[in-house]
Amino acid sequence: MKESWVSLPTIYVPMVGVPILLFAYTVSIVAGFQSIGRILLALSMVGLFVFGVSGFRDVYINHWNGKRTRLRPAVTINKGSAADVTLPRAEAKIVNFHVNRFNPETQRLEESVYGVETDSFSNVLDGLLKIKTESDPTLSMRYSCRMGICGSCGMVINGKPSLACETNVWKNLREDKITVAPMLGHPLLRDLVTDFDDFFERHLFVNPYLFRNDLVEKYHPTVQYNQTKEELDKFLPFSDCIMCGLCLDACPVVNTNQEFIGPQALSQAYRYYADSRDEAGKTRLDHVDLLKGVWDCEFAASCSDVCPKGVDPAFAIQLLKTEIIKNDFIKRKESKS
Amino acid sequence: METLDFDLTILGSGIAGLTAAIHATNASKGNIKIAIITKLHAMRSHSVSAEGGISGVLYPDETNDSTELHAYDTIKGSDYLADQDAVELLVKNAPTEVRFFDHIGVSWNRDDKSHIQQRAFGGMSIPRTAFAADKTGFFMMRALYDEVSSMKNVSIFHEHFAYSLIVERKKFVGFSVIDLATGSSSLFKAKTAIIATGGASRLYNFTTTAHSTTGDGIALAYKAGLPLKDMEFVQFHPTALVPNGILITEAARGEGGYLLNSKGERFMEKYAKSKMELAPRDIVSRAIISEIKAGNGFKHEGSGLEYINLDLTHLGEKIINERLPMIKEIAQKSINLNPVKELLPVRPAAHFTMGGINTDIFGRVLADEEKDFVKGLWAIGECGCVSVHGSNRLGSNSLSQCSVWGRIAGNAVAKYLELDKSSNSTSNELLKSEERKILNLLEKKGNTNPYFIKSELQKTMDENLYVYRNREDMMRARRRIADLKEAFKDIYIQDKGKIFNTNLRDVLEIENLLELAEAVTACAINRRESRGAHSVIEHPRRDDVNWLKHTIIYKTGNGTGIAYAPVRITHWKPEPRVY
Repeated sequence: MKESWVSLPTIYVPMVGVPILLFAYTVSIVAGFQSIGRILLALSMVGLFVFGVSGFRDVYINHWNGKRTRLRPAVTINKGSAADVTLPRAEAKIVNFHVNRFNPETQRLEESVYGVETDSFSNVLDGLLKIKTESDPTLSMRYSCRMGICGSCGMVINGKPSLACETNVWKNLREDKITVAPMLGHPLLRDLVTDFDDFFERHLFVNPYLFRNDLVEKYHPTVQYNQTKEELDKFLPFSDCIMCGLCLDACPVVNTNQEFIGPQALSQAYRYYADSRDEAGKTRLDHVDLLKGVWDCEFAASCSDVCPKGVDPAFAIQLLKTEIIKNDFIKRKESKS
Repeated sequence: METLDFDLTILGSGIAGLTAAIHATNASKGNIKIAIITKLHAMRSHSVSAEGGISGVLYPDETNDSTELHAYDTIKGSDYLADQDAVELLVKNAPTEVRFFDHIGVSWNRDDKSHIQQRAFGGMSIPRTAFAADKTGFFMMRALYDEVSSMKNVSIFHEHFAYSLIVERKKFVGFSVIDLATGSSSLFKAKTAIIATGGASRLYNFTTTAHSTTGDGIALAYKAGLPLKDMEFVQFHPTALVPNGILITEAARGEGGYLLNSKGERFMEKYAKSKMELAPRDIVSRAIISEIKAGNGFKHEGSGLEYINLDLTHLGEKIINERLPMIKEIAQKSINLNPVKELLPVRPAAHFTMGGINTDIFGRVLADEEKDFVKGLWAIGECGCVSVHGSNRLGSNSLSQCSVWGRIAGNAVAKYLELDKSSNSTSNELLKSEERKILNLLEKKGNTNPYFIKSELQKTMDENLYVYRNREDMMRARRRIADLKEAFKDIYIQDKGKIFNTNLRDVLEIENLLELAEAVTACAINRRESRGAHSVIEHPRRDDVNWLKHTIIYKTGNGTGIAYAPVRITHWKPEPRVY
C-alpha cells in the first residue's frame, strides 16, 4: 500500500480474460467442440484488440492516500495519446520533467521522469513541488521565497544555470520537456541539492563587510554617513547579489581551476571597495591582486550571462583589474618622486 | 546524540536573529560563544522578502515629525491593542537602527542632500519609511550576514532544524536539532537562547510569505507548554499578486498607486476618505473583499481567484525603475505584466502574524500571562508578541521591531551571562528520548500522505479564517483541524534517507502548523468583537468594555486553555478609529 504504483486499468480484463479464454479454447478443441472453440477464440481476439487500442491510454498514479492522478505515461508508447487525456482545466498541459537526481549512495546522477500538470503561470519550482507533494516525496531540492530574492533554488534547467522559481515552464520547453539537473560546479549532496560550504568560504575570502574605524559610532549611531546619489550608484548594481551560486557554476575557469576565487566573491570585493562609506581603501585591491584573485579571470563572462539579478560579476572583475593597475601606477610614481 | 555547548543559541537567522548576534557579540567584546541555528542558509531567511522599508523618525525638524506622532499612528493602527510602553520603546529606538544599517552597508536611497530618503506608508501620517529601492529587507539581510560572518565567536549552523525546545523548571536548557545535510540529531545546550524564527503565514495557501515561514519557533514554545498571545490576529496584506500570492509592496501605493474596481473607480474613497489607498492594511483588505463581494471585482482565468486592480501606470517608468524595480521584475517574470503599462491583479493574502510567543516589553519569554519568566529565554521579531502591533501592524514597523528588539535582546543576553555562573546538566534519558523522536517519525507505518494534510489545512484556513470571519466558518475550521490532527497520527514518511531528507523536515513543519492552526482558531472563536485584523460578522464592533485585553493561549492535555492579560496604556486613550 505504501509505494506509489502505476496501474493500467484497462489491461486487467484482457490480462485475466485472454488466458482463460485461450485455455477454454484449447480444452474445447481437445474435447471436440470446435464451433464453441471458434467463438471463444474470437472473444479473446476482441480482448487483445481492446488491450492494444486502449491499454496505454489511461495511466494513473495511485497514491497511498487513496487519491488517483491521471497521467500521461512518462515513457510515451503511443504517441498522440496525450491529446485524449481530459484535463481538469482547458488551459492545463502535462509536461514531462526529466530530473537528473544525484544519488549519494551510488555517487551517480540518475534520471527520473515525471508527468506534471502545468498552466501558463507555472514555473519549474511549482512543477518540482507538485512532484514532491503528489507523486514522489523523496525528491530533494532547496527552495524558499519563490520570488527570486532568497537565492535557494539555483539549478541547471535545460542546460542553463537558472533559478527554478523564475523559470516559466511553458516558455522554456525544449522538445516538449523540461530537463533539470543539480549545479555540477558545486559538490553534490543529494538529488538537486549541492554543498555550499565552499561557496560561502570563497565569499568570506574577500572580507565582505563594511570596514570602519569609528566603532563607537558604528554600534551606537547618532548620525548618518553622508552618501551622494552618484556615490550610491557606483556600488549599487553589485549589491544585488543573492548568493545563489549560479555564476560559480557557469564559470569555465572555476570549473577547471578550483584555486580561482570566482566571480561571486570578486564582485562583492568590488561592491565593498566602491562603497564611499568603506575605510579599508586600497588594501581591498591588494587582497585580490593575486593570480587566484582577479588575474585568473579570463573574461568569459558566462557569470554575467547567467546572473538572475543582473549583477554583472565579469564587469566588476574588470573594474577591479583597472583599479589595481591604476593603483600600481600611482605607487610607482610616488616611489620615484 | 551528541551535545554541543554554547553561551547563547539563536534560533533563526532573519533580521531579528542576526541583529541580536551582532549586539550580543559587541556588548560582550566577543567573549560569548554564539550558535545561530537556521533551517535555511542564513542569508536566505524570509526577511529578504521585506520590500517597502523600515519606519523611524530620522529628521524630525525638517519633516515636522516626532516620535510621539509615530507612536500615536502605531497605536491607532493597532486598534488600541498595542502595549503603549512597548510602542514608545520602538519609536524611540527605530531611528538609531536605521542609522546602524547605514553604518553596516545598506544602500539606502538618498536625496539630493545625501539624506536617507523616506516614503509614505499606510497609516503613517508623515512619510517616515526609509527604503533601499523595494528590496529593503534583502539589503538589510545581506549587510547583517556579511557583518555576522566576520565575527569569530559566532558559529552559523546552516540547514539545521530545531524540533524541540527543552525548558526545565522554568529555565532554558537547549534545543534538539537535526542537521539536514547528515540526518544526525544533536542537543544544542546553552545558558541562554533567543527565538527569532518569524511568523506562520504558511498556515494559509494564499500567502505572500516564503515556503519556510511555518512558525516553528512559536510552535516549539507552545508545545513546551509556554503561552502564546493574540494568535487570532493574522494580517492580510491587501495587495498580493494573483495567482501566486507574491507581495506587491505597500510602497507601490505609498508612491501613488491606485486601487481600482471593475467599474474603474478608486473605491477606497468609500472606506477611508482621508487616507484612501494608504489606510492601514486591515481596512484596505476589508475594502477589497467588500468590493469583490459586491460584484465589483474581476475573476482570474486559470486560478479562478477574484481580484481588483492595482494601477501604477501613472507613476512613470523612472519612478518605478528607481523605487519599485523588484515588483516590476516580479510582475514581468511571474505573470508577464509590465506595471509601467499594465494593471496588476491583486487580492489580500496572509502576510504577518501579529500574535506570537508571550513576552514582556524586553522580549523575555513569559511562563504565564504577565509575571513569571522563563530564565534565559527571549523571543523577538515576528515570532514574539511584545506587543507593538496589537491587532493590526502598520507597514514598515516590522523591520524596526526586528532590529530594535534584536539589539535589546542581544545586549540583555550579554548582561545576563555576566551574572549567571550556573551550568545546566542534561540527563542521558533526555538525550535518548529526544533522539527517539526522529526515529519514531521515520518508523511510522501509516497510510496518509503528509502533504495531503498540509494542503487540506491550508485550504481550511484560506476558506474559514480569512479577512471576514463568521462563527459557523470558524467552528467548521476547528472541527476540520481536529480531524487533520487525528489523520496526522497515521502519516507515512516515504523518504528514509539520511542525507537532506526534506520529506522528514516537511513533516516536522506540518506538525507545527497543525498546532498553530488550532491555537489561531481557538483564539479567533473566543474573541467576540471586531478589532483590527480580526473581523467577525456577528460582532461587527470593537468592544473596549469587554475585550480591550490580550488573549493568552496555553496548550493543555487535550486542547487549549485561554486566559487574558491587560493592555498597557500610557498616554493614548482608546478612541474611534476613523481614517
